[in-house]
Order: sequence, then structure tokens, then C-alpha cells
Amino acid sequence: MKINWSLVITGLVLAAALAWVLGKGFGRDPHEVPFMLTGKPAPAFTLERLDGAKGEAKLADFAGKPLILNFWSTWCGPCKIEHPVIEWGFGKFGDRVQFVGVVYQDSRENVDAFLRESPPKYAMLFDENGRAAVDYGLAGVPETYFITKDGKIRYKHVGPLDPSRLTQEIRALLEDAPK
Amino acid sequence: MSASLVGQACILVALVAAAFGSVTAFVLTRRGDPRGHAFAVRAAVVFFCAMLAANLTMVSALVGFDFSVQYVAQVGSRATPLVFRIVSLWSALEGSILFWGLILSGYVAAFAWRYRKEEARFIPYAVGSMLAVGVFFAFLIAGPATPFTEVSPVPPDGPGPNPLLQNHILMVVHPPILYLGYVGMTVPFGVALGALVSGEFSERWMAPLRRWTMIGWGFLSCGIIIGAWWAYAVLGWGGYWAWDPVENASFLPWLTATAFIHATIVEERRHMLKAWTLSLALATFALTILGTFMTRSGVFNSVHSFTQSDIGPTFLVFIVLIVVVSAVLLALRSHLLVSTGRIQSAVSRDAAFFLNNLLFVALTFTVLLGTVYPLIAEAVRGVKVSVGEPYFNKMAVPMGITILFLMGVGPALPWGQATKQSLRQMWPSVSTAIVVVIFCVAYGYREPGALVTFALAGFAANITLREMFLPIRVRMREKKEPLLTALGESVRRAQRRMGGYVVHLGVITIFVAIAASQSYVTHAQATLKAGDTMQTQQYTLAFKEIVQGQEGNRRFVAAKVQVTSASGSTFELLPRVNYYPRSTDPIGSPAVHDTALGDLYLSLLAHDPAAQTVTLNTWFFPLVSWIWWSIPFFVIGTLISLWPVRARVQAPAPPPPRDAEGASA
Repeated sequence: MKINWSLVITGLVLAAALAWVLGKGFGRDPHEVPFMLTGKPAPAFTLERLDGAKGEAKLADFAGKPLILNFWSTWCGPCKIEHPVIEWGFGKFGDRVQFVGVVYQDSRENVDAFLRESPPKYAMLFDENGRAAVDYGLAGVPETYFITKDGKIRYKHVGPLDPSRLTQEIRALLEDAPK
Repeated sequence: MSASLVGQACILVALVAAAFGSVTAFVLTRRGDPRGHAFAVRAAVVFFCAMLAANLTMVSALVGFDFSVQYVAQVGSRATPLVFRIVSLWSALEGSILFWGLILSGYVAAFAWRYRKEEARFIPYAVGSMLAVGVFFAFLIAGPATPFTEVSPVPPDGPGPNPLLQNHILMVVHPPILYLGYVGMTVPFGVALGALVSGEFSERWMAPLRRWTMIGWGFLSCGIIIGAWWAYAVLGWGGYWAWDPVENASFLPWLTATAFIHATIVEERRHMLKAWTLSLALATFALTILGTFMTRSGVFNSVHSFTQSDIGPTFLVFIVLIVVVSAVLLALRSHLLVSTGRIQSAVSRDAAFFLNNLLFVALTFTVLLGTVYPLIAEAVRGVKVSVGEPYFNKMAVPMGITILFLMGVGPALPWGQATKQSLRQMWPSVSTAIVVVIFCVAYGYREPGALVTFALAGFAANITLREMFLPIRVRMREKKEPLLTALGESVRRAQRRMGGYVVHLGVITIFVAIAASQSYVTHAQATLKAGDTMQTQQYTLAFKEIVQGQEGNRRFVAAKVQVTSASGSTFELLPRVNYYPRSTDPIGSPAVHDTALGDLYLSLLAHDPAAQTVTLNTWFFPLVSWIWWSIPFFVIGTLISLWPVRARVQAPAPPPPRDAEGASA
């Protein structure tokens, strides 16, 4: 029987390549948001302050201690659920870690009304034109960046944090263990 | 007996029937025993009945809140309305594979029954191959992806299906139609394998191969368009296509199936591309399985992906098996698949078809590469990358435009070699394109990409309509037939051509709609207090108030917006956000005012009932609804092509000269 070996070999190579590439993907979380900035220096920003302190704040202002940067909005339900968790974390770890909230894609009136009702306990900034969100590769809110004391992004959490996850990530940040 | 046990028993019967039918079909037919065929037909019917019973068991468990069945505990809920309880059958991984099994068994049984008296040797092999695919799916349902596990203790209620799927009625239609398309490709795969195994390459196997591909293709086309419509109507970002891995997964087999349908015409006319045509049928099926893998393995990141699951490796083994078996069979039979015809001229219909096929396959590779590139990059270089819309648009748009051009040129050129006269006949169509350009420029539509698309659409539409009406006119003039008789006769005599042209009109419509809605979209976003107004295109939008309420199992917040059009007519739109119990994310539900010229699309981005403010995202998409209104073209075109006619004995004849063909082919 005649057989066209080049076809057989092409088929086998194709099958092997498919199996290898697709097989590599097993065990991934399909809902994971790709993030390229892990281990890279946190992008600098200059944003308007919404808390008691007037004027603008820069990333450099928060140097020296690990930093937790929490992006949120008043229109986002899960952010409102998360808010007390972040405040709880600030109460517990606020002496060793800095907390900064960044309001994203929101109207000034809504934010002011929200903050009047629950005044921020930690620094609150306003990313009015979304520039910081773009630099940080924000995919949605809430998202929280854990930044080491030497200014590198150690981890990004997508979605609302719960107390145990927050504690775990802050501990890791304080020990500065490699992620 | 519990529903779980009944379901498991049905699946077991299905598995045994498929395995028995497949093995006997191959073994007995190989020995020349005609009982192989008879057994396969009966096994296919039993396979279908068992799958149907399993699916009915699951539906009755879903409808009757039988939370002892694991799948019902996972997706059922007492608060879900009846229709969405039934739809829950395909709302999660295990159920969707069970439903897949039902459609597959339906196709296999229909094919087996239709050809039960056919004596060709490839038929039992074809049924056997399809049943082998059935074995794989029945095995999945029986083992790795079983929905029928019994839960103990029985939970009192469940979380309900994914809210995105409960949000719109199109979700009731989109998955079954898409599945009918996807799974339908199993039949041509079976026929192709049957032909390869039997080594029988007469004209007899090409007809069922083409017909059954057309069935799957018709469903797949409609399923893809309905999916785009659903994304547009539900997801609230105003788009309808995002080159998401799973959208690509449905597009890939559509591309190869479309290439296949065109290749069969060349194969039939010019006796060329036999191996190529067969490879396309095999590739189409492999791509549907790859697509299923993409949705269900948890490897790809997508709006469609089900949760992580363990069925990925099983699917991967199946994909590898399909590729290897197809390659080996093609290699064994390649000496029988030699082309006897040749392309004589670059300016001919043959060449246009050939180029069309190359483009479709190149587009398939482009989309496939873009889809799996993140995985390749991660596997090879260990880096995470994502391939976004710019890559796909940059690559696909020029190829799409070329295909549009060929869609016009192809039917206008004769087989064999173009004559000066046939080229001259294209002048009216070229003039149409020129008129379209002048008209667009005069009205200020000067975006180059859109302009080229509109011009080529005018060109292709002119040729398509001319090719459709020429034979009718000739009959009316020469045979003095009235219009309807001439139309009926012309369609009857050239069913596939006419059906194809109707589909072409649908495709041209989609091209125009995409170009217009992408190039001339207007977008505005504003935060409004009650009484404030904003402007989008010719509409003035006045925000009245926030409306809140409860509707069945969901709570909603809507912005009441009064819209005044340029003509002074007013209407109300209610873009809203739905909150489902047990879902943390609100599900936006845009409001769309749909007109033939364009859609006003409002999406509620943010709301504050205390301050009575809303943030609205508004778009005006010109002609966008033409995309969904093209569905009738696909349905009617496919039906015309497939409409059963009494077989006519046709002697293979040399291709007729062009004019005669235009009038009577």
C-alpha cells in the first residue's frame, strides 16, 4: 500500500505541537486577568487628594513603607462591600503599612457625597481622567495593588478582598517574601 | 428510582449502543457483511433514544427542583422562571455536554436513517465514525463530566444559572442553534472518514458530504450572528464582536466550512482539489472540537469560559486522535485523490474560487494563531501576553475586503478562461461601485476603509443580483413565462447557485453594516441629574428619574430617559442594571432604539438613587441592526440550496459556455 509519509509526519507534528501548547495551559484560572507589572516598579502618579489634606499626592510621598493601593468607585457594589474590610485592615496594620484609596471613573459629586457620609481614615486620591488606572493596568474595580517598601508591585488582587486574604497578603508584604 | 440513577442508566445505554454500533459497522463492513450497516443504523437509533431520555430526565429534574441531582444543585434555583430552568440545561459545563450529546445523537440517527437503504460502502463506515465520536461524548457524560451524580444530603435550594444567561431571551436561542452548527460538522467528518476508510471516491460521497456540511454551516452562521446580537443586547459595551477566544472558536470552523462549500463546487466542476476538500471537512470538525476544548477546558480566558474542569486532558487526547487519524487516512489514500483538472487561467472563476479558498484558510490560520498565541508565548517563552482586537482587525479586515471583492468577481467570471466579453459585462457593476463612492463622498462619508467596503459591496451586490435575475429575464423573454414561473423554474434549475447568491446578499449586508457601525459610531458619556439633557447624534436625551423595582427573581435599577429625535418624535428608554440574588456583580441591561438607519444605544454605567444622578454611556451605531437582519438571507439561502428535489440523472459534461450557463445552469 502506498503511503504518503510527509502527510503522516505533518499530522503527527501538528498533533504533538497542539498537545504541547494546549496541555501547558491546564491548571490555569480561566478568569485570571493577565497582569504584566508583577515585580516591576509601581508607576508614578500625581493625583488630587480627597481626604482632609489638600492639594496633590505623589507616589513618592508614600515611600519608605509598604503600600496598599486600592482602586474603587462609588458606583461599584462589590467596592462598597469591600470598603469596611480595607478600613478594618487599616485599623489592624495601619502602623506598619500605608493604605491609599484611589477613586476611579467617578463623578466628583458622587465621591464627595460618599466621603461626607463615611470620611476616609486613610489617604484618598481622585484619578479623574483614569491616567493612573491605565498605568497600573486596571481591568475593573475593585482592584488592590500590594507594593513593597522599595516601590515594586508584589501582587495585584482582582475583586473584593476578604479579611483573611488581606491579612495573608499584608503579612507576605511585610516579610517581603518572593511571590 | 432517583433521577440520578435513571440518567446514569440512560447514558450507559447510549455509550454501549454507540460503541457496539461503531465496532460492528467497521468490523462487519470490512468483512463484506451487510449486517454491519443494519446494526449501525439500529445502534444509532438506540443511541439517540437513550440520549433523549437522559436529557428529558435532566430537564424534568431541573423543572421539578430535584436538588438531589448534582447538576440541579449547581445551577437550579426555586426562584428561576420556568423557561430559564429549562435553559439551565446548557448553562454550565456538564449540562451543556449532555445537551451536546443529544444533538450529536440526533444528527447520527438522522443520517443513519436517511441512508439506511443506501448500498455504498462508505455509508456504514461513516455511521461508524460518527458513532465513535458518540462514544467519546457518552464517555465524557458517563465519567469526567457527569451531571447525574447524586447529592446527599439534598440541599433545599440552589444558586440558579449564570445571571448573564438569564438576562436575555436570545440566550434561549443562541446556544442550541450554535450547537446544531457545531455538532452538525460531525456528519461531514463521518462521511469524509467513511470515504477515506472505504477508499470509495466516486461522485456519490460528495453529495451527502456537501449537503450535511450545508446544514451545519447554516446553523453555525445563524448561531454566530445571534451570539453577536446577544453580546450587543446584553453585555452593554455596545460591541458585537470582540475576537474573544470562544467567538473565534465558533468562527474558525465556519471559515473552513465556508471554504469547503466553495471547494466542492470546484471539485465538482473541474475535478480538482479533492484532497484539499476532504482536508477542509476534517479540519472543520477538528476545529469544532478545539473550540469546545477552548470553552470547557479552562485553558482560555473568555467571557464564555465555564469554570475550571478536569475534562481538558480527555478533550486534548481526542483532538490529537482526530488529527492523527485524519492525517494517516489522508496519507494512505492520497494516491486516489489526485486532481485531474487544472486551472487554465488566472482570470477565471476557477482561479477566483481557488483564491477564495486560500484566503479563507489564511484567515483561519490568522485567527487560530492570534487565539492560541498567548498559550504559545507562555509555553515557549514563559511570558504572559494577550492578543487583542488590533491584531485581529489589522489582519482580518484586508482579507475580508479581498473576499468581498472575490464574491463579486467570482460569479461574473466564466469557468476555464475569461473572455473580453465577460470582462466587459462587469462594467455596470464597476459603475455601481463608482456611483456608491461618489454618493458617499458627497454626503461626507470619507473614511477610506468604509469607502472601499461600500464600493465593493455595491460591486458585488450588482453582480449577484444580475446573476440571479439574468436567467429569470431570459426565461421570461424566450419562453414567455410569467415572472413567478420564471423565478420558480430558475431557482429549481440552479438551486445551489441561487441559494448561494441569497447567502452572498446576506454577507454583503453584514460587510456594509460592520463598516458603517465601526467607522461612523458616535459615543458620548455624561453624568446627569434629573432634568438634565445630553445630545447623541440627532437625539436629545433627557434624564427623568431613577426607577427601581423587583421583577421575579431579580431587582432592577433603571434610568428613565426621554428621547427626542430630530423630527420631534419622543419615546422613552430604560437602560437598567439587574441584581440577581447570589450574584455579586450587577448585570447591565442596555436599552436600544432600533431603526433601519441606526441604533441609539444607552447603557447605565452608574447610578445614585440618593442624589438622583446617573452616568450614561450612549452610542449611535449606524446600520448595526442590518447584521442581525441578515439572518433571513442565510436561512432562506441555505434552505434553497438544500431543498430536496427528485434526483435527475446528469451526465458529466464539459463546462458550458458562459452565456448559456448564466441562462440555464
